[in-house]
Amino acid sequence: MSPFLLIPVLPLLAALVLALGGRRLGERSHRIGIPAVAGSFGLSIAALAEVAGNGPVSIPLYRLLEVGGLLVDVDLYIDQLTVLLLPLVTGVSFVVHVYSSRYMTGDPRYRRFFAVMALFTFAMAMLVMSNNLLVTYMCWEIMGICSYLLISHWAERPAAGRAATKAFLVNAVADVGLGFGVVLTFATYGTLDIQEILARASSMDGQTLALLGFEIERNTVIALCLLSGAIGKSAQVPMHVWLPFAMEAPTPVSALIHAATMVNAGPFLLVRMSPLLLLAPPAMVVIAVVGAVTALYGALVSLTQSDIKKLLAYSTISQIGFMVFACGVGAFAAAVFHLLAHGFLKGFLFLSTGDALVATGSHAHGSGSVRGERLRPLAVGALLLACVPPFVFFSGPYERIWSTPQIPSAGIAFWAIGLATVFLTALYAFRGVVSLFGSSVGGSLSVRPRLPSVAHVPGLAVAAVLLTALLAGVWSLFSEFLGPALASGPPADVPSGLTLRLAAPLAVAVAGWGFAYYRHLNPVSVPLPRREWAKTAYVLLLNKLYFDEIHQSVAVQPTLRFSRWLLHELDLRLIDRTVHGIATLVRYCAGWLARTAETVLIERPVHAVATLARLWAGWLERTAETGLIERAPHVAASGFVRTSGWLWRIIDRRGTDEALQRVGRLADDTGETLQRIGPRTLRHHLVIIVCWLALGIGLTYWLII
Amino acid sequence: MEIQVTSLLSDHLISSLIAVPFLGIAAILLGRGQAWARWSALATSLVTLGFAIALWSGFDSTVSGMQFVERADWMPTFNIQYAVGVDGISVVLVLLTTLLAPLCVLASWTSIESKVKAFMSLVLLVEGAMIVVFTAMDLFLFFMLWEVTMIPMYFMIILWGGPERIRAGIKFVIYSLTGSLLLLVGILGLYLQAGQTFDLQEIIATGVSSDAQTWIFAALFLGFAIKLPMIPFHSWLPDAHSEAPTAGSVILAGVLLKMGGYGFLRICLPALPEGSDTFAPVILWLSVAGILYGGCLALAQADLKKLVAYSSISHMGFVTLGIFAFNAEGIQGAVMQMFAHGVSTGAMFLAIGLLYDRTHSRMISDYGGLHKSMPRFVVLLSVFSIASFGLPGTANFVGEFLVLVGTSDTSMLKVLLAMGGIVLAAAYMLWMLQRVALGSPSTPAGGMLPDLGAREILTLAPLAIIVFTVGLYPAVLTETLELTVNGLVEQTMAMIDPVGPPTD
Repeated sequence: MSPFLLIPVLPLLAALVLALGGRRLGERSHRIGIPAVAGSFGLSIAALAEVAGNGPVSIPLYRLLEVGGLLVDVDLYIDQLTVLLLPLVTGVSFVVHVYSSRYMTGDPRYRRFFAVMALFTFAMAMLVMSNNLLVTYMCWEIMGICSYLLISHWAERPAAGRAATKAFLVNAVADVGLGFGVVLTFATYGTLDIQEILARASSMDGQTLALLGFEIERNTVIALCLLSGAIGKSAQVPMHVWLPFAMEAPTPVSALIHAATMVNAGPFLLVRMSPLLLLAPPAMVVIAVVGAVTALYGALVSLTQSDIKKLLAYSTISQIGFMVFACGVGAFAAAVFHLLAHGFLKGFLFLSTGDALVATGSHAHGSGSVRGERLRPLAVGALLLACVPPFVFFSGPYERIWSTPQIPSAGIAFWAIGLATVFLTALYAFRGVVSLFGSSVGGSLSVRPRLPSVAHVPGLAVAAVLLTALLAGVWSLFSEFLGPALASGPPADVPSGLTLRLAAPLAVAVAGWGFAYYRHLNPVSVPLPRREWAKTAYVLLLNKLYFDEIHQSVAVQPTLRFSRWLLHELDLRLIDRTVHGIATLVRYCAGWLARTAETVLIERPVHAVATLARLWAGWLERTAETGLIERAPHVAASGFVRTSGWLWRIIDRRGTDEALQRVGRLADDTGETLQRIGPRTLRHHLVIIVCWLALGIGLTYWLII
Repeated sequence: MEIQVTSLLSDHLISSLIAVPFLGIAAILLGRGQAWARWSALATSLVTLGFAIALWSGFDSTVSGMQFVERADWMPTFNIQYAVGVDGISVVLVLLTTLLAPLCVLASWTSIESKVKAFMSLVLLVEGAMIVVFTAMDLFLFFMLWEVTMIPMYFMIILWGGPERIRAGIKFVIYSLTGSLLLLVGILGLYLQAGQTFDLQEIIATGVSSDAQTWIFAALFLGFAIKLPMIPFHSWLPDAHSEAPTAGSVILAGVLLKMGGYGFLRICLPALPEGSDTFAPVILWLSVAGILYGGCLALAQADLKKLVAYSSISHMGFVTLGIFAFNAEGIQGAVMQMFAHGVSTGAMFLAIGLLYDRTHSRMISDYGGLHKSMPRFVVLLSVFSIASFGLPGTANFVGEFLVLVGTSDTSMLKVLLAMGGIVLAAAYMLWMLQRVALGSPSTPAGGMLPDLGAREILTLAPLAIIVFTVGLYPAVLTETLELTVNGLVEQTMAMIDPVGPPTD
């Protein structure tokens, strides 16, 4: 057993201990969570060293499923991509754990908080280490439920419950795509082992799938399914609506899950499956377009938001959009690079937000500013983050991957969209960093150092900045290191030195940063623009292009209305009424039987026979009386008359008649009961059961003998 | 002496398993007082569970075919036997039945106040009858006990049920009897076709002519579909589930519905492969429709029990979807789904029963903010809710995933539509949680409800453990099922035209 197994196992154990540990743990819960995650972080660093030295490590665990042709082994696979993400996941988780141990002090659900955080760390670590698509999917969903549980942490707030449900459901819709992709992958490749799938991906090139009458290439469908999962989890347009709402979660959660780690799962999955994506150019175009649209949208919206956490959420959306965009153009290494830089920096930003929020007790930030010494490292950090995206352009001429030579405009569009995104990214990266410290405390920094944890802030700032700088410095090392995990490797013709390819985007990024800095130093007093079209645009963006309203009126409300319609019109009206109709019919038949059939078919013949017999007897009596024989026949005849009369009275009237009437009434009753299904007495129900059973037994008897 | 007892038990394990609940009924009726009835019912159901676990551990999963077979002539004139035996599928369902019975007894511990003796006897009667249904190898025995299960359920509903109990009870009985009559016709058809025998194995060996297969299948299908229930034969279920007392709902949802799926697997597939093949496209589409329809209707419910009842229709759609995929993944998935649904939905009804005991309200709008007053309850309710919509790591996920993999053989479109049902499931469960557990109480009393006691936790905790154990290590059940299901698939596919699986 490799010690790296402990990377996910330690947080899992912590989660279990915390979940089952009972109330005794209470305020001491962090003493279990922090060491476990610290251990994971240490081991992650060790894994980084190990993989850098000796290549990928594979750790088989156990067989999850073996059914028919389906084999699912839970294996851990640690390659270059995994070891880069593991320190991010466990490291940010560790910092957030330490931070939360102070931040959450006094929370009534302290233990629950740490249990779910540990479980989340486990799931995310498993996700990046998983070598099986099903296990990936499972971790993906477990992360989703952890996110749900943490968003609804302050459950007494109605908004928290709504936000949690919304977040999970939006993801559930998107994950239909991912789940479908998993099933389709198995149907196509006959295995869910990621390395095997990637190795065989090219052999499936050209295989098609018939769906709704369309013939689509299987690899393309799988790639689009993966994208669908990424759209949900990483909050890409149009499934991004949950992320701003998820800010209802305690701030450490926003830092860990909704900025640094979980939302990065989408780009991670795309990078992990990159060899397969490269075989599906149409899917690559879709991925690039989704990423670019999200990056631009998130940037524009974040410029108009006044709630600091919402602003950071939209900036996260935008940044991840940029990562997805990078994946779409094939710059996988750059996507991972950006992912790491953004993950560390955004996690730090959110933790600082938490301090600020505690200090001011409000989410809103004004437009005032503070120019303190603290600003400088942050501004540098923002500049570095802004400069990361241009590496996408620097790292290779990727547009060739999907823009065919016949459409040169695609290349131009790529540059236009790319540069616009870089500019805006720089703009709000700066704004996101600076506005927090510049304004949220209402112009006085002295309010902030109320929490003991504020001592961490400068340290964290330095760490984040150093790390980003380090990353920027080691880009070439980085892409070389990551190369083997991407299978495609870096493109052959990487330009060296400061070419136009790097200079232009870098210049744009710095321009964006500079513009933001200028605006920051010379704030306009009224943020509203003056021109009419600009006002319209501003209102549109302020309302996030009405995505929430569109979701509500296009998806949520119609589903609910349709469900209610189904219930009332179809289930209660049609089906229940049909059943009642049958019962009414039975009752009608029974009534008819009682009235008509009984009288006409049974009573009247019997009546006739009896009358006939009486008439005949009377005739016999009269004849015998007037005739030859006097006494004996007379007696016999009168006896006959009496018998007939008795017959008439007893059998016909009382016996048959009443019996038949009773049967008729009973049938009538049964029918009535059936129709109304209303309560009579228990006996009636038993009679019905007995009747049916008798009928059944009679049928049995008749069929067998 | 000891050895003799041991060998007697091991030779007649199934008979002993069947006998225990009936002996328990005798004990309850002979004794006096409510406490006696409760404790002896609990003891009986636990002993039964012990026997079932012995059966499960004694079951040899490396051998295919029926095991622990016992045969005795019953009505020789009609070739009717008392013949019982188990294969993997039976073992799993017997385990489910015996697992839920003690929990039903515990759940009725204080909530049933009148006629306790009668109630506990009925619980044990239905348990015993269902064990026979799941182990019978003789169709007459199967049918008879199938009928017997209905009677205790009927009385449970009309004597201890909710305000609309009479209506629900009558509806339940009429639907069940209609189904039973058709089932009887089907079984008699098999009897006549196979040369006057009720022995299922003989019937399978003899085979049924192709013409007869169609109508016999149609009769059996209607019988099983009503029980399962498939749309459009489902309208008894929401009423019966919501009006029955907690234990009744648990038995209905947990086990009784599974008799339908079991019937398909035990009789229709092996004995009527061509009939199954003919009807499969219709059944698959009905299943998909049921998954979506049940999910939509659950979304529209304002009543907790009805919500879970409609969700059952949705989940049972996965069972038929898996069975009629005719492959190992689909059928194992179907059985897993039956087990998982039995556990998770049974647990949902138990949990709602605990709430109902406190407030006597089933309306979602009467609750809210329970996380504060009943934190333990909310944890367990959340666990079963997320299990119910098949979150990975729970048993339901394994079942649903296997069914989807099985279905992907024939049609990816159905896979996609069925996954829509999972989204709906997440929607109605989480929305319910949001309105019941989160937020603030809608009534002042709602904030003062007492949290779960030890007995109540004991009722729910075992099911939570099972849900996760099976979800994370499905081999506990798949190993038992593997050979049985493979054999069943081979048997069925060999008889269906060698053209291959049906496509749409």
